[in-house]
Amino acid sequence: MPVFLQNVLVILLAAYMAWDNGTGNQVTGNWPVIIGMLVGLIMGDVSVGLVIGGTLQLMSLGVAAIGGSSIPEYGVATIVGVFLAIRTGASTGTAIAVGLPVGMLTLQFDVIMKIINNFFAHWSQRLLHEKKFEKMDLVFYLTVFCWMLKYVIPITLVVLFGTPIVKAVLHIIPTWFTNGLTIAGGMLPVVGIGMLLRYMPVKKYLTYLILGFVAAAYVKIPVLGIALIGGAAAYAIYRHNAEKLTQQSVAATENDVQDDEGDDFDE
Amino acid sequence: MSNNTQTETNNKLTIKERKNMFRRWIFFAGLGYNFESQQAPAVAFSMRKALRKIYPNDDEYIAAMDNHYKYFNATPQMGNVILGATLAMEEKDGIKSKDAVQSLKTSLMGPLSGVGDSLFWILFPTIMGSIAGYMALQGNPIGAIIWMAIYIGLYWVKMWLFNLGYTSGTKLVTSLGAKINVFTDAISTMGLMVVGSLVSTVVKVYTPLKFQTGKVSLSLQTEVFDKIMPGLLPVCLAALVYWLLGRKSWTPTKIILLIIVICLAGSFTGILGIAK
Repeated sequence: MPVFLQNVLVILLAAYMAWDNGTGNQVTGNWPVIIGMLVGLIMGDVSVGLVIGGTLQLMSLGVAAIGGSSIPEYGVATIVGVFLAIRTGASTGTAIAVGLPVGMLTLQFDVIMKIINNFFAHWSQRLLHEKKFEKMDLVFYLTVFCWMLKYVIPITLVVLFGTPIVKAVLHIIPTWFTNGLTIAGGMLPVVGIGMLLRYMPVKKYLTYLILGFVAAAYVKIPVLGIALIGGAAAYAIYRHNAEKLTQQSVAATENDVQDDEGDDFDE
Repeated sequence: MSNNTQTETNNKLTIKERKNMFRRWIFFAGLGYNFESQQAPAVAFSMRKALRKIYPNDDEYIAAMDNHYKYFNATPQMGNVILGATLAMEEKDGIKSKDAVQSLKTSLMGPLSGVGDSLFWILFPTIMGSIAGYMALQGNPIGAIIWMAIYIGLYWVKMWLFNLGYTSGTKLVTSLGAKINVFTDAISTMGLMVVGSLVSTVVKVYTPLKFQTGKVSLSLQTEVFDKIMPGLLPVCLAALVYWLLGRKSWTPTKIILLIIVICLAGSFTGILGIAK
């Protein structure tokens, strides 16, 4: 694939990712492993895309944008990392080390866009009151266009100017620094895991947390197998609790009937 | 009021128009997100066409639409249920339902997002992400492809949720609410098992430090930590991060930066090394 076409497709992918990730559609979302695969496909080296995407995926597990909160843009980091790794031949560690800061800076665009959108929202409502109903859709599409810019701007800059800069920087960075970032890549998944645990009923189901750990650390069962065991446990617990729930509601209605009868007797 | 009967015969939406509303929501839910009314612009966008048919009268239309420019925030996949129920109410009662619609929206978005966020943003991406991420590290794209395929399939699940909201409306909270909670509660055991396994497999902390006493050298990692428990250091790190996250002054971003600084310092001094 010619270099120019690759550049255009990577920028288009960034635009699509911004759109998809902002909706309930989520076919690619900004999940690093999927985006990494797609960038790899565009750039002509799927395996590099998968390795960088997979690494970033594990790093980002559980670091979710709940309720519209702001988190590093791992999808953008993936596009930047895979693009530069294939163009410059940088290692996985270096690619991630360059991609992550871009992902963190992109976060600032996200905040700016959410502020600008406020203006669009008021404009749209003003049109409603002026009875210019058709224009309301246009304003919304304009918002969507601006929303895409939050990924398109940083990715375009990287695509246009990134390669020579990264090549130059690669000569300067000392080994301990890139090693340090590779080590950080191994340790960072812990943040996502910590956040997941904060959202989950850890105290209620501590048993399963420990079981999962033992199954992986001592028995060495692969994660898919552990997920299946977990699924079995979940099914059993669901059946148990659902039965309890129906019994409760049956008991509740029976009580209601008895209460009614009691009232009748009192009268 | 002949005008009134006129609107009542016209304002029933066809299946096609309802699906159109659903698509306008699901493909645009979070776009237009702002800090003041959050997802409201997308709600207004998705309801606009359907409500125009329900309210041919301009003033009623404006009043009804104003409602949908008010604060709204829900997991997009779950917002369907709420908007479906809203649509049914407005179709049935017209502008009289204005206040009821608003209170339905505000009362449903909390509980449904609680379920939706943990399912669609935490549990499912964690499980799929760890499986697909692992496969990808070995150069295998199947995990990522399956993930995409499942998410495409979810389109019909979301459509079903939308129809559920439309047909059962307000009854939904009471009849389904408890059952959905039982479901999320149960499925979080699956999530916790996966998370438990991730601590030992995904988190990598390795120290190349060795103690030298005369001719005997003792590797701290393989002969001390690994002997006590496999994954001892990752478990300690996870416990520390879990504790830090519970403190108000520590945001995830700060913790990420802290870890990067520790790793750079560890690499510089040789206390930390790249895990084998």
